[in-house]
Amino acid sequence: MLMPRKVKHRKVQRGRLTGQAKGGTTVNFGDYGIQALEPGWITARQIEAARIAMTRHVRRGGKVWIRVFPDKPVTAKPAETRMGSGKGNPEFWVAVVKPGRVLFELGGVHETLARAALERAIQKLPIKARVVVRAHQEEVEVS
Amino acid sequence: MAEITLVAEPGRRTGSAESRRLRASGRIPAVVYGHGSDGISVSVDGRDLRHALSGEAGLNQLLELKVGSDTHLAMARVLQRHPVRHTVLHVDFQIVRRDEVVSAEVPIVLTGEAKAVATEGGILEHPLTALTVHATPARIPSGIEVDISSLTIGDGIRVGDLKLPPGVTTDTPDDEIVVIAQVSRAAQALEEIEAEEGAAEAEGKAEEGAAGGAEEAGGEGEGGAAAEPGSPEA
Repeated sequence: MLMPRKVKHRKVQRGRLTGQAKGGTTVNFGDYGIQALEPGWITARQIEAARIAMTRHVRRGGKVWIRVFPDKPVTAKPAETRMGSGKGNPEFWVAVVKPGRVLFELGGVHETLARAALERAIQKLPIKARVVVRAHQEEVEVS
Repeated sequence: MAEITLVAEPGRRTGSAESRRLRASGRIPAVVYGHGSDGISVSVDGRDLRHALSGEAGLNQLLELKVGSDTHLAMARVLQRHPVRHTVLHVDFQIVRRDEVVSAEVPIVLTGEAKAVATEGGILEHPLTALTVHATPARIPSGIEVDISSLTIGDGIRVGDLKLPPGVTTDTPDDEIVVIAQVSRAAQALEEIEAEEGAAEAEGKAEEGAAGGAEEAGGEGEGGAAAEPGSPEA
């Protein structure tokens, strides 16, 4: 699973999930991608599950890019522990995701297969997301 | 490249709230600058903008921009888009002259089907999808075609191999890869996953065997030894 090799601070505060993604909102490497439509924390396990689901469905051919990295530690206190005594221990890692962020990209496969693989990966994520196509990005859409 | 006429209305009020109201009414806020002129805040009709920039030349379309009583030759340079809806929020128009060299991003279009994909089961990686070129506005191509039908696994096409139209140059290094045919990494990743699962299953079976053996032999079974090779430490 993805996790940082070393960090400056072992425990961090939760932060706020407001606004929309500032960058990483376009498909840059593959031909298709998964774009987040909601804010949320994506755990390293969920990223790995989505990657495996995609890779399994594509089988031969294709290349997967993971565009998010779980660099935020989440702590938890052990079960049946009284409150106090400081912050809990780091338990897992999450990637902070805001709407618009491209989470995964897939290239080298036909559209039907790519869409099916990406839809399977979306099922592994805790937020609403959609499939985006690189070829449609340059289109000039007005509201 | 023939110019398309686009009417820009000057004197719009600036600010996020005003811009939001402008967009709600079907207009797109924009700015016009270039050749030493101060930036002019304008707005253009959304439908007209879409029509102007959806032609063969795409975003590099040369525009005859009518700002009040003035007419400028201009190109759309920066399109700000909404991160989720991907609609255009703001446009920068740069005033250009017919005889000056300008830079533009031109898409690289792959033609044909690579041998590596059709017969060898490989995949194409296309790291450079657009090339920054320098040319006079009329000479900017709508796309650069690259024939990939002869590519086999390990072959690549670099920027130096591209045939640029006359009068068009690029600053991109010649050795930068445009497209390369590779062995599928997804297939390799799948093999890795299956190997991991196979190892996990073997470990599970070995543990079951060890437990069963221990029960049969009254706690000092032979299965205990059988569990060793499958364990992670082994």
